Order: sequence, then structure tokens, then C-alpha cells
Amino acid sequence: MYKVMLIDDERAIRNLLRITIQNQELDLEIVGEASSGIEAINTIDNYKPDIVFVDIRMPFMDGIEFSKLAIQRYPKLKIIILTAYDDFEYARSCIGIGVSAYLLKPISRTEIRETLLKVIDQLKVEKREEDEDIIEDDQCSIAKIKEYIMKNYMEPDINLTSIAQHFCFNTSYLSRMFKQKTGMGLSDFLMKCRMERAIAYAKKGTRMYLTAREVGIPDPNYFSKCFKKYTGKLYSEYAKNDTSNMANES
Amino acid sequence: MGKHLFRDFKRWFSSQMLKQKVRYLFLAIITMYLVLFVLINFFYLKENMMNYTLNNNQKTMISIGNNLKSELNTINSMSQLLMTNRDIIAYLKSENSPRSLASHRATTAMYDITNSFDHITSVYLFRLDREYVHIAKGITWVYRNHLESEEWTREIYEKNGGYVIRIDGGGAFRSKSGEPLVSFIRLVNDLDTQKPMAILVINLSVSLLKDSYKNMESPDKLFYYFDENFQHINTGHELPNIEQFKPVDAPYHQVTVGAFGKEQVLSFYRIPDTPFILAGIERMSYIRFIPSESIWIIISLVALTLFSLILIGIFITVYITNPIERLVQSMDKSKTGWLKRVSLPLPDDEIGHLKNSYNNMLVEINKLINELLEKEKKTQQAELNALQEQIKPHFLYNTLDTIAYLALQESSEKVYDAIETLGNFYRRFLSRGSSEIPLREEIHIVKDYLKLQKLRYDDIFDDEYLLDEDVMSIKVPKLILQPLVENSLYHGVRPKGERCVIRITTKKKENWLYISVYDNGIGMNQEKLNTIMLDNNRSFGFKGTIERIQYYYGREDVYEVVSEEGLYTEVTLKIPL
Repeated sequence: MYKVMLIDDERAIRNLLRITIQNQELDLEIVGEASSGIEAINTIDNYKPDIVFVDIRMPFMDGIEFSKLAIQRYPKLKIIILTAYDDFEYARSCIGIGVSAYLLKPISRTEIRETLLKVIDQLKVEKREEDEDIIEDDQCSIAKIKEYIMKNYMEPDINLTSIAQHFCFNTSYLSRMFKQKTGMGLSDFLMKCRMERAIAYAKKGTRMYLTAREVGIPDPNYFSKCFKKYTGKLYSEYAKNDTSNMANES
Repeated sequence: MGKHLFRDFKRWFSSQMLKQKVRYLFLAIITMYLVLFVLINFFYLKENMMNYTLNNNQKTMISIGNNLKSELNTINSMSQLLMTNRDIIAYLKSENSPRSLASHRATTAMYDITNSFDHITSVYLFRLDREYVHIAKGITWVYRNHLESEEWTREIYEKNGGYVIRIDGGGAFRSKSGEPLVSFIRLVNDLDTQKPMAILVINLSVSLLKDSYKNMESPDKLFYYFDENFQHINTGHELPNIEQFKPVDAPYHQVTVGAFGKEQVLSFYRIPDTPFILAGIERMSYIRFIPSESIWIIISLVALTLFSLILIGIFITVYITNPIERLVQSMDKSKTGWLKRVSLPLPDDEIGHLKNSYNNMLVEINKLINELLEKEKKTQQAELNALQEQIKPHFLYNTLDTIAYLALQESSEKVYDAIETLGNFYRRFLSRGSSEIPLREEIHIVKDYLKLQKLRYDDIFDDEYLLDEDVMSIKVPKLILQPLVENSLYHGVRPKGERCVIRITTKKKENWLYISVYDNGIGMNQEKLNTIMLDNNRSFGFKGTIERIQYYYGREDVYEVVSEEGLYTEVTLKIPL
């Protein structure tokens, strides 16, 4: 069973892909979706997919940028680029950076099936090796990691894997160790840093898209989702309440 | 006829090349100059020559007459020698017969005396008693009957010692050779009694007359003698066949005969105290009358004039016609389609300025052509871009996938609706034919487009339309609105992450049609506003559309962008009506 993640800015197309892939009855499971490259960077460590479908045209971080990061961080990941005809030449040049395949829109079921079969074959050949380099650590390294996160959370492309690579940890090990030591997942910690900062901005009445940019989630749609999940309120409500508060105060 | 000819000539002359014109002009000037020069000289000379000839002629004739007279005086002196000679007087006074001795002595004396004188052919001494002695060089016949006639002797007696000149002795003598004789006749008186004793006749040959003009003759100037009866005395020349060559009864007479250039001056002079009329014929010779200094002056004047003309000609050729010819040749190259600048080393005068002006003009023309080409290229590029915009494959394929999803998951009603909208959109979008469509159609395209985009992006915006019905039929260039709306959606609304409004407004104000596309997306700061029309801008659709409108209406002020960062963007198209 291989895990698949879908990244496209159009919900309809994600759904279409999901249905199409499920209908193939291959040994695949769709583990997650993202509506932008930014969202994908932030959630990919949760889903740990073997295969990703990436639309080439997305706002904030396009398919190419995402693929470059992903190839660096997840060398075994199979990336399938989705493209409409007018991006075709652009997409082809991406082959050079290491994507596995590209598919033309509108989606053709046969092509999807053939591509998936090919990719699955490759995955079967490459054995899963999960070396867990146990590295003796101490509180100190956790503190360093926290400090690093707090310094760098506004960078939109950091996630668990990039931090692990930065400190030369195995990703799953780091994840486990961090949770063990702090009682909180590393991704959650990163999100917490961003959201606390966002709340501060919201209180100042900063526009959402600007705040989103400032705290390292430049996709305002995803940001708004995260904000609501974290605070239980819409950003606009926060901002409105706060400005009205401020108005009351003054 | 003459007018016609003149017009033809004028046409012909103006059709000649400048160089040819100059040549013809110079030829004409030189010819005119020479003709005028010759004519002036000719008439001036002629008059001069005439005066000179006429004056000179009279003097010459008089001097010839004097020569003759002095010759006759010499003969007269000789006759007196004869008359006073002792032996001759002895002969005249001898009474006895025969008087052979006396006559012999007289003859000897006559020989002695006459020997030293020229021209004398014979000498006769007639005594009144019909006795006579004579000497002669040739044979001379004597007609004695004549001698005794009263008519013949009267004048001689009347002269009483003075001499009388008669041709052939008035018919009494004739030379055997046929040459005329000039007879010198006088009465011989007795010195003591002063009574006539004899008549002395000295016959002289015509060489006497010839000698009188001997040194004055030339091939151009001939002299003739006539007697008192206007009979020609043959002195060796034949009488010329000229009608007017007849002496008249006047002391001096002169006429000019003959055609122009062949004039002859005829002159007649009655030599006083003689029966002779001297006649002269002189052919005019112009050369003779042009003094050699003036010939040199004339030649050098002509030469100087010719030299000056040639110099002017060369000047004109080198500095005017040749540069112009080269300039024209160089300019002619432009006919082949190359607007090439003339790069000739021309003098820095009017012609050089002409070249510079021409070159400047060419530069301007080339600039204009380049501008035109550039504009044409841009227009074509804009049209091409519009064409590419029209196809919009990305939009089509994504929409198709969206509809595919609807088909799988939603109601067939929704699918039908979506396909209908897509069909309508592309029907209007891809319609061929005129590049102008009514504004109503343009709005329809935008409505369909936004409807389809809502399907794709989950109602992240609302679209509003504030339309003035009066302007909906105005024709506008096709597809000027959709790219602006697309820009609003992708660069204004979507990056904001909040539900937004896209509003289309149309209105007419004065002579302008205003079409605004408003969105309350993220807006733009001044910096971004400034780069919106630059080549490297991402929102290519905007720039291309604006340029298309600009070319279409040939003006720059067809749009306006107002924006505030984080709040809104409003693009207004200004279409001139």
C-alpha cells in the first residue's frame, strides 16, 4: 500500500483526481490533500506520502518551487506534475530537476493509470530503508531547535524535515524525540509560534494576507484555515473584535 | 510657326541634362561672341579701308600724272635742244637742193641728242616746204596727207611753240608693231625772225605711260590710260570686263563696284595739260588693312575670352554639374529601395548643404519607416497575443476537469449549466470576423467567464455589474475586458484569501465611454503601479490589452489605474467615441 497526496488549488480537480485514482483499484491510499504548495509543505510530514500529484500552476508557491524543495527533502518521493497544455514546455524542463512524470490536463484516466503503474513499479524496486540513526541528545539540542524555530518560523518553506536536515536528525526520530521532550509535536510547535504572532498582528488590525505573509504562511486561504483551527475564530472576527475593542478603549 | 519652333526648342532644352545645357549655352555664347567680333571688326575695317583706299588713290593718281608730266617736260627740253642745234637750224635754213649734206648733218645731230633719252621711237622734222628729215628705231609709217591738212596743223600753229600731244600723231603715224605711239608735236620758229620754219614730231612709245605708274602697280592695283576721246590706250593690260569702267568728263572720279567682299574701287583722273585720262582698279584686300599689332590684340582677346569661357565652363563642371550629377546618381540608388545615405566628398557649399539636407531627410525617413515598422510589428505582436489569449487552453482544460468532477459528483443540471456556459463563452470568445463587438457581447463574455471561474474556485468572489443600457450597443475592440477581469481575479482577489467583489461599471461621459473593472483585492502600492506597463511584468494580459487599445485608437490616454494597497484596484478604460 502506497500513500498518495494531492496538491492542486482547485477543489474540484482534487476531488476528480481522488475519484479517478480510487477507481483504478491499485494498491494506493489517498492520505491527504493540499490546495497550495505552502499547505503541502506544512502538512506533508504528517501524511508521509510516497507519491504526490502537483499542479504546476498554483499561487504563492507553484508546483515547480514545491517540487524543488520536495526533491531535496524527500529523495524517495515520486512527484507527478499536472499541467495544462500552455505550461507544457515549462513542465518538460522540470524533468531535469527530478520529477517522475508529468500529466496533461484535462485528466485522462488511461494516462493516470499508466503513470501510476510505472511509479509503483519504481517504488517496488527501491526498498524502504528506514535507518534510524539514534543520536545521543540532550535538552540542549531541543532548546536549540526551539530557538531555531522561533527565529525562522516566518520562512514559508521550513517544516519538520527541513529542520531535521538542518540539525542532521532522522525526521521520525526528531519528531518522536521532540514530542517526548516537550509534550508537543514539532509541527504543532511551529504552528503555535506562527499563530501566536498572527494573533498579535490580528489585534493590531493588520490585513490577513499581510499577516499570513509575515508569519510564514503566505497562502491566506491555508493561513485562515490554520488560524481558525488554532483559535477557533475567523481572523476577520479577531481583527474586528480587536479594532472595536480598541475603539471602545479610545 | 516660329512660336511653335520656339516652344519645341524650349521643351527640348529643358529636357537636357544640366551638363548638356551648360555645354550648349557655352557653345552658343562662344559662337555669338565670335560672330559679333568678326562682324564688328569687319565693318570697322571696311570703313577704314575704304577711306584709306579712296584717299590714297587720288594721291597716287596725281603723282602718276606728275610723273608723266615731268617726263613730257624732259621731252620738251630735249625738243628745245633739237631746235637750237646748229646743224638742224642749218638744215632748216638751207635753200639749195639737193641738200644732202645738210640733211645728213641734221640727222646725225638728231641721233646724238635723242640718244640719251628713253621711250623715243622716232623723230620727224618737217620743213614747211615739205622737205623733212627723220630718225626712227623701228618702222613707222607716215601719212603725209594728214600732215598737210589744215585741221591737223591748226592747233599746232595756235600753240605757237607750245607742244601738242596726240596719240599716233592724230592719225599721221602708225607703228608697224601696232603699239600706239604718243606723239609730241611742236612748231619750230626761226630764232631771229620768230617765223615758223618747221614742225617737230617726236613719237614716243607707250613705255612712257607705263613708266609713269611703274612702281605703283601691284596685282591688286592696276592702271590704265585713256585718250581724250575716252579711247583705251593699250599699255599691256587687257581692259577688265566691268561695265562701270568708263571714264567720265570730270577731273577726278571714283566709284566702288562689286559684291560684298569683292569690292573694287574704280578711279579716273584727267591729267592736266595732257590728253590722258588715268584709270585705276583696286581690289580691296582686308588683310592688308589690319595692322599687325591689332591682329595680335585681337588674337589675344579672342584667346583670352575663349580661355575665360573654358575656365568658367570647367568651374561650372567641376563645382556644379559634376557634384550634382554624382549626387543625383547617388540619390538614384534610393530608387532601388535602399534609402542609403549619400556619402560623397562634396564641397561645403550649397551642394554640400543639399547633400546634408538630403541625408538628414533620409535619416528622418528611415526613422519614420522604422517607427512604422516597429509600430506594425507591435500591432502584429499585440494581435498575435490576443489570438493566443483567445485560445486559453489552460482555462479550457481546467474547466473541463471541473465539469468532469461535477458530472461524477453533482447533479446533471449543474453539469448542463456548466457546459452551456462554457459553450457560450467560447462561442463569443473565439468568434471570427470583425475585431469590434458591441459592449453587450463583451460583458457577456466576462459574465460567462466569471461564472466558470466561480465553479473552479468555490465562490471566492461576487461579481457585480453597474451597466448603463445606453452604452451597451457601442462597439469596442474585442476581448478588452476579460483580461482585466482575469487580472483582478488572479492578482487581486485570490491572493487576499477573503471573499471579494469584482465590479464592472460602464458609463458615458462627454465623448468618452468609461469601462471600469473594480476589485477589492490586495491592491497595489505605487511601486507596483509603476511597473504594471513594463515588459517584464507578470500580468502580461494587462499590458497586451492596453497596447491593443492604444494602437486601435492611435492614442495613449486610453486607461487609468487607481489602487490602494490592501483595499482595491480599479482599472478604467477610456474609449473615445
